[in-house]
Amino acid sequence: MAEVSTSKLVKTYGAVTALHGIDLDIKDREFIVFVGPSGSGKSTLLRSIAGLEPIASGSVRIAGQDVTDVDPADRDLSMVFQNYALFPHMSCRGNLEFPLKSEGVAKADIDSRVEIASKLLHIEQLLDRKPSELSGGQRQRVAIGRAIVKEPKVFLFDEPLSNLDAKLRIRMRVEITKLHRQLKNTIIYVTHDQVEAMTMADRIVVLRDGRIEQVGTPHELYFNPANQFVATFIGAPQMNLVPCRSVGAAGDQVTTIQVGDGAPTPLPIESAGQRESLTLGFRPEHVLFQDPECTAIRFELKSDVVEHLGAVTNIYGQIPVENGEEVDVTASSHSDVTLRDGTTLSTWVAAENCHLFRSDGTSLTRNVIAPEWN
Amino acid sequence: MQSRGLASAMLNALVLLVVMALAFPIIWIVMNSFKEAADINAYPPVFLFDPTLENYKVLFDLADAEATNYGTLKIEFFKPVISSVIISIGAVLLSVIAGVPAGYALARYEFRGKEDLAFFILSFRFAPVLLVIIPMFQFFQAVGLYDSYLGMIWVYQIVTLPMIIWLSRSYVEDIPLEMEEAAAICGAKRPQIMLQVVLPLLRPGLVGASLLVFLLAWHNFALGLILTAKNTPVTVALLKLLNPGVSFYPVVSAGLVVSMIVPILLIMLGQRHLERGLTFGALK
Repeated sequence: MAEVSTSKLVKTYGAVTALHGIDLDIKDREFIVFVGPSGSGKSTLLRSIAGLEPIASGSVRIAGQDVTDVDPADRDLSMVFQNYALFPHMSCRGNLEFPLKSEGVAKADIDSRVEIASKLLHIEQLLDRKPSELSGGQRQRVAIGRAIVKEPKVFLFDEPLSNLDAKLRIRMRVEITKLHRQLKNTIIYVTHDQVEAMTMADRIVVLRDGRIEQVGTPHELYFNPANQFVATFIGAPQMNLVPCRSVGAAGDQVTTIQVGDGAPTPLPIESAGQRESLTLGFRPEHVLFQDPECTAIRFELKSDVVEHLGAVTNIYGQIPVENGEEVDVTASSHSDVTLRDGTTLSTWVAAENCHLFRSDGTSLTRNVIAPEWN
Repeated sequence: MQSRGLASAMLNALVLLVVMALAFPIIWIVMNSFKEAADINAYPPVFLFDPTLENYKVLFDLADAEATNYGTLKIEFFKPVISSVIISIGAVLLSVIAGVPAGYALARYEFRGKEDLAFFILSFRFAPVLLVIIPMFQFFQAVGLYDSYLGMIWVYQIVTLPMIIWLSRSYVEDIPLEMEEAAAICGAKRPQIMLQVVLPLLRPGLVGASLLVFLLAWHNFALGLILTAKNTPVTVALLKLLNPGVSFYPVVSAGLVVSMIVPILLIMLGQRHLERGLTFGALK
């Protein structure tokens, strides 16, 4: 059993506070992803759990044991670094053997564990080469191999795929997910790439400025983001944000809003105060190009640039809001939209796909049952 | 294409000029070491002569040195070469043992007055050695280090230690901290990280730095002149060949040639590392 938890974890660099009291519980065998923009503290949090960064206050527990003051070597975890950090003076075999020799594992046992790991990662042919003779993807495999031979309770990954090209990144993403299913370890994975987070994670921790913005499954983060930051961070192209105001409520389960001079539309979202300034959020993939014949907000979208990606068409343009101003929005369509740049077309967003944010950025609760994923 | 050929020819000519300017004194000395005394002072200089090994025989006492106004000299040049080897290699080893950890600390740890300390260490290289040496002479005689190898190895640290500390600091800074962190996560303890990860990565740079510092030690003159009597290094022994009133130039030349052999041998041995160590750091 390898739960990991942090309690009121504070990390400071001189006068700068990098982590403001992080409380987090990671379950055994969970694949958890820390995601956030650069400077959000995601790597610092990972390194604090690893014991590579001394923390100012708070505690770290691994498998029920307080390891706050324990050496990284004795925390029973493995880590894959962004730049692989393979030992350049050792062969790949030497790199794989290093953690086992450090722990004083018997020679025969070392050989068999190195063999198993190298088979699993398809690096048997590379074992006698030096890291400098390997490609980026091969180095990545060896680095992962060095992490798994140790059979640790917890794996830490610090942006491991960011140095790989796009194609290889997708392949390694799938392989790491498979590896997790085989090994069933707890994995903590840091990335700034929300696609990696969405595709790999059991649960995602979204960080910003050293604070946790939201913890949840990819599904929860997508359908019920806690605030505007999470809403725009998760999903690509990112969620559109349009200023609006509430013009009425029907009970406390519905808020009627108006964008610019548009028609007031009731949304199934907890009621906000009268005439309050709000921000309407909707995802590009929820923009419809035909009247859906349900409650929906209608926009006249003036298109600027149309991107045909094959499976998806992205339309970048503007919609009018108050006082003759316009805001940029993005719409995505899976159907083949034939459209020239500069044309204006009617678009709709179903009420159930709308999000509302207060002026402080927090979400108003949506009364929508999220569709099942699987 | 033609202008490029011309440019390259001119460049080659320039290089040749520089090589000749640099090599001429060495060639001259080597030639002199095989000449007889009469040919040395000949004007115009002689380039064609019957080479003789007489000077080398005198140097190593296989033949009697010339009788001088002061009597017959015994040179025993082998002894100062051995002394220089012991002192210089000893000084470099001590500097590496003491200096690499110091360089590591300066590279990896933040502490108050770090840069001041680093500068202070380097400042030993600024002081004129002769200024330090007079009090040193008295001190060495008082504690019984005068004319001892131990004393010389110790005092040579003025020459070698600052360089080793500064060079190893920059080599450590070239090793990504991730290497050490990775080793720590792998379960390695401090001593193991040092011996199995940091030192092997430092090795090329360190070999280069040691060679460089060895040359500084080998060529040092002032410290040996004042602080030794019998266990003189080779530089001081060469001076003693310049006896007043005696034409010893051919023997001095032979001594110079012999004194060059040890550094040349070491450089040939470590050349690969010298290039790597002095051009780019220890990694990548």
